[in-house]
Formats: sequence, structure tokens, C-alpha cells
Amino acid sequence: MSEVQSVNIIMIEDDEGHARLIEKNIRRAGISNGITHFLDGTRALDYLFTAPHGPALNGPALILLDLNLPDMSGTDILGKIKAEDSPIKRTPVVVLTTTDDTREIQRCYDLGCNVYITKPVNYESFADAIRQLGLFLSVIQVPETEADA
Amino acid sequence: MRARIGRTLRITNERVGRAVLVFMAIGFAALIVAGAAAVNMVSRNQAHVDAVTHTYAVGNLLAEFQAYSERAETARRGFLLDSQSDYLRTMSTALNALPTRTQALIELTSDNPAQQRRARQLADLSGQHGTLLRRTVALVARGDRDEAVLAFRDRDEGLPLIAAIRRISADMAAVEDQLLAEREAGQRSSVANFFIIVSVAGALLVIMAMASLLLMRRYGRDLNRSRDELALLNRGLESAVAERTADLQRANDEIQRFAYIVSHDLRSPLVNVMGFTAELEAATKPLAELVDRVEAEAPAMLTEDAANAAREDLPEAAGFIRSSTQKMDRLINAILQLSREGRRVLSPEPVDLVSLLDGIRDTLAHRTDELDGEIRIVEPMPQLVHDRLALEQILANLIENAIKYRSPERPPLVTISARKERGRVIVDVADNGRGIEAKDHQRIFDLFRRSGAQTEPGEGIGLAHVRALAYRMGGTIECASEFGRGSTFSLSLPATSQGEKGEAR
Repeated sequence: MSEVQSVNIIMIEDDEGHARLIEKNIRRAGISNGITHFLDGTRALDYLFTAPHGPALNGPALILLDLNLPDMSGTDILGKIKAEDSPIKRTPVVVLTTTDDTREIQRCYDLGCNVYITKPVNYESFADAIRQLGLFLSVIQVPETEADA
Repeated sequence: MRARIGRTLRITNERVGRAVLVFMAIGFAALIVAGAAAVNMVSRNQAHVDAVTHTYAVGNLLAEFQAYSERAETARRGFLLDSQSDYLRTMSTALNALPTRTQALIELTSDNPAQQRRARQLADLSGQHGTLLRRTVALVARGDRDEAVLAFRDRDEGLPLIAAIRRISADMAAVEDQLLAEREAGQRSSVANFFIIVSVAGALLVIMAMASLLLMRRYGRDLNRSRDELALLNRGLESAVAERTADLQRANDEIQRFAYIVSHDLRSPLVNVMGFTAELEAATKPLAELVDRVEAEAPAMLTEDAANAAREDLPEAAGFIRSSTQKMDRLINAILQLSREGRRVLSPEPVDLVSLLDGIRDTLAHRTDELDGEIRIVEPMPQLVHDRLALEQILANLIENAIKYRSPERPPLVTISARKERGRVIVDVADNGRGIEAKDHQRIFDLFRRSGAQTEPGEGIGLAHVRALAYRMGGTIECASEFGRGSTFSLSLPATSQGEKGEAR
């Protein structure tokens, strides 16, 4: 395996506008990793655990997770990803949501979320958040390279 | 329900009271009648005794009278026989005793005219008899003994007199005896009546006492029953209250959830509006640059509309969208904030108002120094047992407002004083600020409502928050203000927290 396996970004976000904004800002931050977008939880879980190109069977990934989904709660998905017997429990999860409710945030960290980002209405801070996310993404590429080496 | 029971109980109470009163009245009346009968009986008895005494006195007098009459007669005859002075003395003693007896008889029989008449006849006859005797004695004393004896033997007027005296005496005695017999019969019947009255009164008393006892017992039973009913109702009431509280709790939870969902779900589209507005602004920049370049290189191609659109209309529109969106975001955040505050559990603890206010004053010191203003805390202040954070939020809000809405004409002066009134503590925050118009005194406590010139930034949330907190702490907040002169906000709280009003989660 000489080829560097790039981190696949999996975005679970039901709001297409948000998804587009996130993607735009990730790109602006200079991150060119592939982004796979899911609009609902069911298909996202299916991909995560069973798809041949999904993280469970193939390669490293980063999950961007919105908590408000039409078919299930984002925390349920988080719980499944971070469960003891989950094959992808080490995959970093960034929770991106509009809520800044302390209890919700705590719950997400309890479940094993790696980063919690509140989607700000203020565009500048939103862009900042995404840029930080970009930094974060560059950082997590490091262990991947190590694992690969 | 409770009121109805109370009323029926009171009615029963009144009725029982009245009945017992009636029974007691009847019992007392019976007692009084019995007493009166006894008094009557005693006086009758006395009268009877008097009558008996009277009869015996009359009889006695009659007997004495007769005895003296006979003795006088006998003495006269003895004197006629042997002229001894002993006889004479005996006769005159007897004759002297007679008038007192007849006089006494006349007096004794003054109540009975027939008897009195007889007594007078007796006195009369006795007088004649005496005269006769004295005449005989006078004859003998003169020495005419034969004459006297002759007169006695042949034509003695004494015999019919004596006979008449005996007859009348006997009549009087008989009449007195008869009267006595009648009085005794009367006495016997009055004694019988007395016994009847006393036994009837006694029976009445016993009946009334028993009726009262029965009534009281029944009343006691009723009382017990209604008490049991009341206890049952009370339990029902408690569960009803618990039910209502649970309902309120649910409604409140519903509102909290609603506020949460609203704020959350409203923010989601706002993120888009804001994000894409920024995209638009970003896109406007290259467009404006293009317009600039076109203007410089090929002015003929540039229309005025396109130039305006790129340079003015687009940035202006984006600016309005941005500012409105930001305002909306602040409002939503405020709702979210209130909903969160509503969910915070209040934990009462003893709070020293002075040190709490000192803390607030220190926080605002920078601002007051800048404005040459003053926050004055009037000591001493009463102790409170309340949630410290809530109290601090309320007071900080009021004091910040007092400084924020100062009058431009004078440096701000905020005076905080507190007093205790019947278990409540009232904290007054008074300022010399711009004041609030009377029509707005209530309105300012409503969410998103503000008063006066909108010169200061704000969303109209602070006082709504203050009032919501005051209510939760079992208190009230009031505003008194004179426009242009200043305002006083009075926070009234129970001295010791009575637990939460509304929900506790």
C-alpha cells in the first residue's frame, strides 16, 4: 500500500443549503477530500456500515453529523457509530447543529462525539468554524499517514 | 363541595343549638313551676297552721270564758249560802277576767262576721250576767240576804243567761271546728296538687334532659360523619390539586419544548439565509470589479441599471437581509434563553442583599465612573432566603436599565433600598433617569416591548425575564415612574422562598 489513502468526508445533513454552505467553506479552507453527502439517517447508516466504499469496510473517514434529521435523531446515529462493538467507533465525528443547548452538547460528548460545532447564523463565525474544521481535518490526516506507513 | 358541607353543618349546628335551648327553657320552666308550687305550698301550709292555731285559740278562749262564767255563778251561789268573802273574791276575779276574754274573742273573730256577732252576743250576755251577780252581792252586803236568796230562787234571771251563754259558746266552737275541717280538706287537696305539679315538672325535666342528650348524641354522630366526609373530600381535593399541577406541568413542559423547537428550527433556515447572503455579498465583489473594469475599458457597454445594481442595489439588499437576519437571530436566542431560564431549578439559600448589590455595583463601576454616576446602596437591608443567581439577575437587570436609560441632562444616580413588610421583602431600585410614560408601565414587562425613544440597543427582553423570574420566586415586580424625572422598580418577594411557583425541573 504505497498509495496514501485520503480521508473520506461523510456529511449527514438534511438541509441542502447547510450542506452546500459547509462544502463551499471546506473547499475555501483548502480541503479537497472527497465529500459524500446523505440527506437522511437510514441511508447514511447503511453506507457507514455496509457499503463497500464505506468506512467500515474501506479506509479512513470523518463524519459530519447534523442532529436534526427527518427519520431519526442524530444522537441515535452517534450512539451507533460509537457503540462498543462498532467497527467504526474510532472514526472521528463532528457534530454540527443549530442547537447550543448545554445538555445536548454534553450528551453528544458522553456518546463519544469528537467535536461539537454550533452552526452560527453569523456568516463570519460560521466560516471560521468551518475553517477550524479544515484545520482539524488536516490534523487527523496525520495518524492516518502513520497507520499507513 | 366543601362550602356546601360547611353550610349544612352550620344549619344543623344552629338547629341543634336552638333545640337544646328550647329543651333547656322547658326544663327551666318546669323547675320554676315546681319552685313556685313549693313556695305556694309553704305559704298555704303556714296559712293552715295559722288557721289551726286560730281555731284552737278561739276554742281555748271559749273554754276559759265558760269556765270563768261558771265559776262566777258558782261563787255567787256559795256567797248566797254563807256570805264568805272567799266566794266574793273568787267571783270578782272571774268577773274581772271575763271582759278580756270576750274582747279577745271579738278580736280573734274579726275575719268572720258571724262568729264576731256571736262573740259580741257573748260579751253582752256576760255583761248582763255580771250585773246580775253584782246586784245579788250588793243585796247581801246591805244585809238583805233573804231578799237576795228570794230573788235567786223565784225569779233568777241568771239561768236563761247561763243557758244562752252555753248555747252560743257551743255554736261558736262548732263553727270553728267545721272551719278547721274545711281547711284541712283544702290543705290535703293542695298537698295532692303540689305532688302532682312536682312530679309533672320532674318528669318534664327528665324528658328534656333525655331529649337533649339524644339530640347531642345524634349531632355528634352527624359531626363525625361530616368530618369523615370532609376528610374524604380533602383527599379528593388533594388528588385534584395534584392532577391540576400535573396538567400545568405538562402544559409548561409543552411550552418549554415548543420554545426549544421553535428556536431550534427557526435558526436552521436562518443559517441558510445568512450563509447565502454572505455568498451573494462575496459574489457582488467580482461583479462590481467587472463593472468598474467595463466602465474603464468599454463604457458604451455599461448600462446605468447594471452599474447601480452591482454597486448599490445588491449590497444594500444584502445589508438589509443581513441586519434583519441578525435581529431575528437575537430574538430567537432570547426566546431560547427564557426557555432555558424557565427550566433552571431555583435553589434558595440565605442571601446577603448588601454584598450581592456591592458585587453588582463593582461590575458596573467602569460604566458609572465613565458617566460620573453613582449607585447608592441604603443599609441596612433585611435578610432573604432565595435563589442567589435569580436575585442577582433581577437586580442587575434593573440597575443596568437604570443606568442605560439615564437622563441626558444629569449624571445617573441609582438608589437601592430594601424593607421588610409582613413577611415580604420589598427592594426598591430608584433612578433619576428619563422615566417611563404611564401608558407603558405594564407594557415594558412584556416580551419584545420597549418604551420611549429607541436610542439604546436592546431587544425588549430584560424586564420580561425579570418579571418571569420574580413570578417564579413567588414575587411581583412593579414600576412607578414620572416621565422625565425617574423611575422606581419595586421587587416584592416573600422573605423566605415558598418553593417554586409553577414547574420545577
